[in-house]
Amino acid sequence: MKEQVVCKTNDIEPGDMKAANFGKQNVLVCRTLDGEFYAFLNQCTHQGAPLDKGMICGATTDDSQPGDYHYCRKGEIIRCPWHGREFDIKNEGRMLANPDKRLPSYKVRVENEEVIVYK
Amino acid sequence: MAKNQIRIVDTDIHETAQYKDILKYLDEPFKHYIQNCGWIQEKHMPYTQPTVAGVNRADAIVPDGRQAGSDLSFMQEQLLDDIGHEYGILTSALDPSPSSMHGWYEMATALASAYNDWQIEEWLEKDDRLYGSVHIAAQDRDAAIKEIERVGSHPKMVQVLLPIDDILWGDPFYHPIFEAAEKHNLMIGMHHNEPPVYYGKWPRYFIEWHTLIPTAHMKQITNMIFNGVFDKFPNLGLMMIEGGFTWVPHIMWKMDQQYRDLRHEVPWLKRKPSDIFKQQIRVTTQPAEELTKQEFNSLIEQMGTDDILCFSTDYPHWDYDSPTRALPNMDPERKKKIFAENARAFYPKLP
Repeated sequence: MKEQVVCKTNDIEPGDMKAANFGKQNVLVCRTLDGEFYAFLNQCTHQGAPLDKGMICGATTDDSQPGDYHYCRKGEIIRCPWHGREFDIKNEGRMLANPDKRLPSYKVRVENEEVIVYK
Repeated sequence: MAKNQIRIVDTDIHETAQYKDILKYLDEPFKHYIQNCGWIQEKHMPYTQPTVAGVNRADAIVPDGRQAGSDLSFMQEQLLDDIGHEYGILTSALDPSPSSMHGWYEMATALASAYNDWQIEEWLEKDDRLYGSVHIAAQDRDAAIKEIERVGSHPKMVQVLLPIDDILWGDPFYHPIFEAAEKHNLMIGMHHNEPPVYYGKWPRYFIEWHTLIPTAHMKQITNMIFNGVFDKFPNLGLMMIEGGFTWVPHIMWKMDQQYRDLRHEVPWLKRKPSDIFKQQIRVTTQPAEELTKQEFNSLIEQMGTDDILCFSTDYPHWDYDSPTRALPNMDPERKKKIFAENARAFYPKLP
């Protein structure tokens, strides 16, 4: 099983993300507000944009109405830097507008304040 | 299609009133302005119609010289009996209905009521096959709702013909109208009127305007879908009349694509735009482009369903579509849906 230390835990603040190399692959390591780490292929499924150049944010909820937005999932949504597509970090990287699509993901564990990505 | 093989439900037939025809249905003082002052709505279209008989089929002029579409018995002879219509839905022909009239709210409101009464008495109650559209002057929204309340429960009124204005229909201004329509099992019909396609003006030539009519339909659909109208009014249906249909896959693809990118902005959408379209929007076929059978079937495949299209002739207008010639041959089940069953399934009040 291939695995690799990609960064230290304190390299990424909760609610932030960064790109890292995992072998020849470029991965996106995300840290949600609860302190958990997640890793995805750092490429949008749509046209391959580098997701680390986008942002981690929240989502608007379906009980919003025109003129009255409600928000949820703060720090759990990746938005692509190009077309703004939203991917749910805690739901296998699935796209909000089309959950059939998802970002390829990697397993992550933390040992001794090191973030380890593995297949 | 052999004659009488399928009993057609024709979703766009234009009956026509002369101003004098509706006078007896018009209250004072409005009757006075027409009868004694010669008032008519401002005419907008700047073109000499480049066809043989203006906007009408030249052979649809009533034999005694009256305007095409103004005589029920001639319409019966030339259209309903000849083709063997099961049902036809009347959609009027601009004024004296206030469908493109702006300003003078009270006159527009009075005209709509008079027109509806004339339509009911002179057409709907004289031919079992004919069903009607409720005309309203939406510039006075509350009066428009009163008119829907007044005639909307008539058993032969199947839709509200909503005039196009410069506020798009997803705007909350129109929601009470949708509520009233829903209450009476009426669908909303959009027939293009003057001149919604070219930045609110007329282009240089008629052919440009006529080519771009479906852009008016696309604007209204896009606005209504993304403003959440179809989830707010789940029983509301929209019939898009006289814009043809080859644009349908385009607007479905475009809206779905935009939704995948920009969902964040319209989180109230509960369904994919194309799914909303498939469930709550229908499109009349005329004016049909000449497609091969292969092109037509491919287009239906691109729509993802053959539930959407509803055949229409647009009689007696110049760009009339013949039920036997306008669309290519198709398999019998599909033909039945497009020529009758889709419309029947769409209009709750159509038997």
